[in-house]
Amino acid sequence: MVRIKNRYLLINFLYPTPSKASAKEPLPDVVYFQQPSSDALTPQFLIRLIRDGILEMYGEYGAGAVGSGLKVNYLSAATSTAIIRAPRNHYRLVWGALSFITKLPAPVSQQCVIRVVRVSGTIRKSEDEVIRRAKETIMKAQTAAKLIGRDAGAQLQQVVNQPTPRLQDSEGIEDDDTNEEDDEMEDVGEKIER
Amino acid sequence: MFYDLNVPWAAQDRELQRTIAFLDELGYNVVALNHTLSGKLPGDLTCPIPQTPDFPVPPSMRILRRCTLTLHDPSQNHRISTLSANYDILALRPTDEKTLKQACESADCDIVSIDMTQRLSYYFKFKMLSQAIERGARIEICYGPSILAKDSLARRNVISNVIQLIRATRGRGIIISSGATNALGCRAPWDVINLTTVWGLSQERGKEALSTESRNLVAFAQLKRNSYRGAVNVVYGGERPKPQTTLPLVSKGSKQQQNNKRKVDADSGSTDNPISKREKKRREKQARLEAMPIQPERQEGEADS
Repeated sequence: MVRIKNRYLLINFLYPTPSKASAKEPLPDVVYFQQPSSDALTPQFLIRLIRDGILEMYGEYGAGAVGSGLKVNYLSAATSTAIIRAPRNHYRLVWGALSFITKLPAPVSQQCVIRVVRVSGTIRKSEDEVIRRAKETIMKAQTAAKLIGRDAGAQLQQVVNQPTPRLQDSEGIEDDDTNEEDDEMEDVGEKIER
Repeated sequence: MFYDLNVPWAAQDRELQRTIAFLDELGYNVVALNHTLSGKLPGDLTCPIPQTPDFPVPPSMRILRRCTLTLHDPSQNHRISTLSANYDILALRPTDEKTLKQACESADCDIVSIDMTQRLSYYFKFKMLSQAIERGARIEICYGPSILAKDSLARRNVISNVIQLIRATRGRGIIISSGATNALGCRAPWDVINLTTVWGLSQERGKEALSTESRNLVAFAQLKRNSYRGAVNVVYGGERPKPQTTLPLVSKGSKQQQNNKRKVDADSGSTDNPISKREKKRREKQARLEAMPIQPERQEGEADS
């Protein structure tokens, strides 16, 4: 059967500059890079953002080529992730346009870096990846928060000075169950980074 | 392992810590802090970047020190070798064709970094660039300025120059780095690879530019500085072992005991042997007896067939 072939881009919004509320209390870097997006970030808003980006970068040709194939399949402001459908022949144009976005415009108006985490041929695999990444982020944030929690400066300095990885260092603080999970997550993370 | 070999450094820069944390979040493992010098070289050439930064750095991150020297006049830089000894990596930024020629053909540098946001008045020539690559230098593409550019002209120039460069080098000997002044201009490795794919570099070459080529460059630069003629390096000098002091009495006693035990064991082993001769004969006999009833069967079988 003939099908229209698509690519599903799993994207992640990162916020490199801290918001004013979080500037007061010390948060671990992981937490404020992956902070939740504002509610004004809707699928329509995202589509318009991408269309404008493509038009700016690739002109009428790019806008036409991507045109009807573009769709936001999933958007979660809480975890700042989204799945975007793009036509297979031109998904690199969409990806390129996403890389050149530095700011979310008017209703959100926040500086932002969009990272493409996974390119997949089926939506199912990207959904699995969303869940896996969400878990991993929580684990990372928890370990980072525990380090910050006690005495931020001293703890971090301790981590910096020791050559062992961060997760091993926190063994003394956590109980055994969570620790094992942490190790597992770490393994998976390494696989993906390659 | 992904490398970002150009993160601008300035004294008292509060943004730097966040930029490095963000690069770690994006998946980079090695970062080079860049100190830019231009015009006449100052008298004191020591590196102002501290060996270890004075802020907490993510544990998996390795930090290198790099110097970028802008070349205006081909005759002014006879102290490049002393400069390169003070940094981990030395990059040269030529401003016109003459200085590019010098950087590629004669100057002793690790990276040739061309300012891509300008419109260049000359074409890249394969012969010139390949000479630099052969000598171990790499040619750098900075993607940061094109992302942070306010006007579209700078972005257009970057794209045009990068396409020219990829055409002239045929995709070989290129490294890609951010060159972004703040965290907003940094992109994740795979995003960068996709960008260069759109600009005409194949995906494999793009990945090599961020990982293998950069790694080679760093290793080669280190070898140049620490080793004898860039060929031999003493990794471990083979220290002479300390002369052993006489063992304390207690351990000596235990050793003797061990010896005794072993002797007993050996004796019991040797006493087994003479018995086994007899045993051997007996076993042989037994084996023969056991084999007897089988043999006729076989013969029968053979006769049948």
